[in-house]
Amino acid sequence: METDVIIIGGGATGTGIARDLSLRGVRSILVEKDDIASGTTGRNHGLLHSGARYAVKDIDSAVECARENRILKKIARHCIEETGGLFVTLPEDDPSYQDRLMDGCSNAGIKAVEISCKDALAIEPRLNSSILSAIKVPDGTIDPFRLSSANMLSAMENGGKFITHAAVGSIIMKGGAVSGIECVSAKEGRFSIHANIIINAAGIWSQEICSLAGIKLKMLPSKGSMLIVDYRINRTVVNRCRVPSDGDIVVPGDTVSLIGTTSRSIEYNGIDDLRVDDDEIDILIRNGEKLIPDITRSRALRAYAGVRPLLAVPGNTAGRDISRGIVLIDHEERDGLKGLVTIVGGKLMTYRLMAEMASDLVTGKIGVSKKCLTARIPLPGSERLESLKKNLKLFPGISKSVIGSAMYRHGYRASKILKNDKKNYRQICECEMVTEGEIGYAMKSLNTGNITDLRRRTRIGMGPCQGALCTYRCAGLLNEMGHTTPGESLRMMEEFLEERWKGVRPVLWGDGLRESEFTYWIYQGLFGLGNIKNDNDGSSDEI
Amino acid sequence: MKYDCIIIGGGLAGLTCAIKCSSEGLSTAVISCGASALHIASGSIDLLGYSSGRYLTGDLDTHLDQLIKRKKNHPYAKIGKKCIWESLEFFRQILSKERLNLFSMDKKNHFHITSLGILKPAYLSQRSIFNGRLLDSYKLKKGLVLLNFRGYRDYYPGLAMNQLKKNPLFRDIPLKTGLIELPHYTKTARNMLEFRSIDLARVFEDETYLSKIAEDIRTGAGDADVVTLPDFIGIHNYEKLHARLEEMTGKSIIEIPNLPPSIPGMRIEHALKTSYASHGGEFSSGDRVTGCSMSRGMVEYITTENYSDTRLSAKCYILAAGSFFSGGLKSGYNLIHEPIFNLKVAGGSDRTKWASDQFFSRGSHPFMEFGVETGTDLHPFGADAKKIKNLYCAGAILSGYNPVMEGSGGGVAISTGYKAALEVIKKIKKSSLE
Ligand SMILES: Cc1cc2nc3c(=O)[nH]c(=O)nc-3n(C[C@H](O)[C@H](O)[C@H](O)COP(=O)(O)OP(=O)(O)OC[C@H]3O[C@@H](n4cnc5c(N)ncnc54)[C@H](O)[C@@H]3O)c2cc1C
Ligand SMILES: Cc1cc2nc3c(=O)[nH]c(=O)nc-3n(C[C@H](O)[C@H](O)[C@H](O)COP(=O)(O)OP(=O)(O)OC[C@H]3O[C@@H](n4cnc5c(N)ncnc54)[C@H](O)[C@@H]3O)c2cc1C
Repeated sequence: METDVIIIGGGATGTGIARDLSLRGVRSILVEKDDIASGTTGRNHGLLHSGARYAVKDIDSAVECARENRILKKIARHCIEETGGLFVTLPEDDPSYQDRLMDGCSNAGIKAVEISCKDALAIEPRLNSSILSAIKVPDGTIDPFRLSSANMLSAMENGGKFITHAAVGSIIMKGGAVSGIECVSAKEGRFSIHANIIINAAGIWSQEICSLAGIKLKMLPSKGSMLIVDYRINRTVVNRCRVPSDGDIVVPGDTVSLIGTTSRSIEYNGIDDLRVDDDEIDILIRNGEKLIPDITRSRALRAYAGVRPLLAVPGNTAGRDISRGIVLIDHEERDGLKGLVTIVGGKLMTYRLMAEMASDLVTGKIGVSKKCLTARIPLPGSERLESLKKNLKLFPGISKSVIGSAMYRHGYRASKILKNDKKNYRQICECEMVTEGEIGYAMKSLNTGNITDLRRRTRIGMGPCQGALCTYRCAGLLNEMGHTTPGESLRMMEEFLEERWKGVRPVLWGDGLRESEFTYWIYQGLFGLGNIKNDNDGSSDEI
Repeated sequence: MKYDCIIIGGGLAGLTCAIKCSSEGLSTAVISCGASALHIASGSIDLLGYSSGRYLTGDLDTHLDQLIKRKKNHPYAKIGKKCIWESLEFFRQILSKERLNLFSMDKKNHFHITSLGILKPAYLSQRSIFNGRLLDSYKLKKGLVLLNFRGYRDYYPGLAMNQLKKNPLFRDIPLKTGLIELPHYTKTARNMLEFRSIDLARVFEDETYLSKIAEDIRTGAGDADVVTLPDFIGIHNYEKLHARLEEMTGKSIIEIPNLPPSIPGMRIEHALKTSYASHGGEFSSGDRVTGCSMSRGMVEYITTENYSDTRLSAKCYILAAGSFFSGGLKSGYNLIHEPIFNLKVAGGSDRTKWASDQFFSRGSHPFMEFGVETGTDLHPFGADAKKIKNLYCAGAILSGYNPVMEGSGGGVAISTGYKAALEVIKKIKKSSLE
């Protein structure tokens, strides 16, 4: 295989680069070791920062956020909810921080407005009523899965290629320049791709990619854990008005709310085995309750952790104090290795800017003069507003919520899913209203390899039951549709339930425990999933 | 209103207990708030299916002996082997009277096919899941065909067939899958392709469609002589329907238990409730027991959600409210508790130790063994650690066993329900003599 640019890493940054390059007519292949958005991109708050969170300490980041916030609201509207946000001061907080925040926002050009506590409580009725002050900011939320998928789709429609479930194992070099990569995948085995330019967009794993090229890059892994409750308890993003610290933000998303986050530095070799510590759960709950006292009345659905992709800057060690700024490295300049570029740092919501910076550098190298178009051309799904009314008329007998969910997740592209065939509307995941048609579309058009990938494209298995019924249905359906062999389906089913369990296990109490007992009964008790070995090795011979 | 006994929970344990009590002439009431575990169980009764992850073949009597010796706190150890066998025989007889016959392979496990094509041991099964004849048909090595209804989303025979093919037992049997059409069912505005098993069971019960289904089965099966279907063959007159289908098609028809709701489980529930009613027992469904009043270490009365100001009292009470799934047990942030009487539970206050890191861990999960602690007489202990002498516990609410890992759920529910009834009967007869 041969191409102009190889992109390593399929997070927001990598998929964003693939789109940017494809719109400039540059050929690229993106290689991702797992699935798109399976790294840090799929493990954060999904906050569309207004910039206010950084306004006091890191004005550069604040300015970047504010600018990208406005752009994304135009080009990625089907991935975004303009919820608005609040910064509230609790009695125990330093009241002077509020003024510093207002100053910072005004310096960064962020529209922050002081409002009365009464108005804040009117906007957010479940808020702690003893707050001392409140500031309104244009925070929002952004769905990272939808965002990465839309970027990928756009790139593919413009000729970009994606190879997922293939890890880069080595970088091929020729006389002081890179000339390609070698990859390993479970399906294809070993293969290589040739190109004169490689963009390292591997997030926290960038250190590893650089070391494959014999280059030293030091990342400072800082883990953050988050907890999801099964109820959308707040309407807006609720921030605590103080120096950012553990458990000081509650973000609404889809049908849930999320308490974030902690910050703990971890060893680099621990980044592939992230665990939420038990005391982190305590911290998140305790602090989340301070903002929204009712929050623990809702069931805790999952907890998960991500690692901030921060580059070590000499002298700085603690996670939150380092600049979250974007770092673009031309390794030809820095290390004398021609053709390798690294782009790290930044945030989910600055992915587009990061992609633009990396693409500008690369197009300059290969002599392509076309300018970046991503700030103007909407992503697939955000081209036009889809009309629910129109669709309800076009598809009589199909429930409003089913049509609504497809539109919500796929925006204007929902027209690819909505067809007048009843089979298309069978709900496979009832919690999230994922239909057979949506699954078929994702399998065919969105580069989906297994049930976990499918979850990222459709939200299957993300609702209250965490896959109790839909895992089996989905495994069977993929086989029926011809996407998997029966053996693969069985393996995916087990893997998916283990993946769900990783997030459920840390918050296993109350209804979560009850639900898990049910799922365990079905898959182990009723189906006997754990008995496969007995059958295959013939120990049932005596029957 | 004062009863001889009030039973909280109308699942397998509660109903077995209620039938035994009412058949001995005790005035009995069952209060149950929701669907029991029977609505999701396979409908076969497990007695003891596994040991350390391996199937238990051979004499179950011996296996029970070993378990009882090894695990002193196991419910089986508390009630003893004699009572276990007696209870199962009792259970079989009451169902048989309701025309639901259960088959076993003497005192050994038999095996049935799950929807993944994996084999699962059980002790008692309904005729379409296991019977003597079926065993022969496997051995005849004629073909087996796994049929499904087109568009039914809760069952995928392709997965099952592939797994059966890997099983040495089925190696020489020709296997295939096939689809048959749903009967043209007009009584619904719903998307037929979203039908649950219960909707289809109703279709089967409407005999208008039976000959059409039989015709389709015969065509779909070709020359195979064993056919598997998802578990829809009716609830109320199932045995008759199954026999008729076999007659009309000339095939052996096996049912494969499916995603909930469980039709075979509902057959059992229906039979148990009918039997109980025929003994004059009272059943109050849709009401939840919310609290109790204790006096001198005994239960004085209980209250329910619907009749909060009525004091329901009895000489004896049986708590058969199930595990977490049914609400018999509750878990808080760092606490496992029993919500009605606040009984002593085996659980532990460190939630990090409740479950294993892997969902399909070889060692299963500690929470599966959590539950109420009792003595051998099934009396639980109150908050003051003293036995409550007019309260008994039975079924999935008990601690000390792992129904999934051992394959013992149904057996424990039936035998402890029965044992509780014996204790109650003994006590009430004694007190009436005095
Ligand atoms: C706790 C937490 C909360 C956050 N909250 C927010 C927020 O609210 N808003 C916001 O904007 N940002 C937030 N962020 C930051 C944001 O998540 C990240 O900056 C962003 O997702 C990074 O994206 P990326 O594409 O650069 O990296 P990643 O998403 O990590 O992508 C890198 C990809 O490279 C792949 N890869 C690695 N090695 C190889 C290899 N050898 N071969 C092939 N592929 C490889 C990985 O599998 C991965 O998919 C948060 C971060 C954390 C940790
Ligand atoms: C998915 C699944 C599959 C299974 N498969 C098998 C199998 O193949 N073979 C086998 O032998 N066993 C199986 N079992 C196990 C077996 O079905 C159970 O162990 C057994 O049915 C438990 O019966 P029970 O009567 O103790 O409790 P349950 O069936 O749970 O019944 C308890 C009842 O009490 C009611 N209740 C709870 N609290 C209150 C209250 N406060 N007031 C009033 N009512 C209340 C509940 O609504 C419920 O109806 C399975 C279980 C499950 C969950």
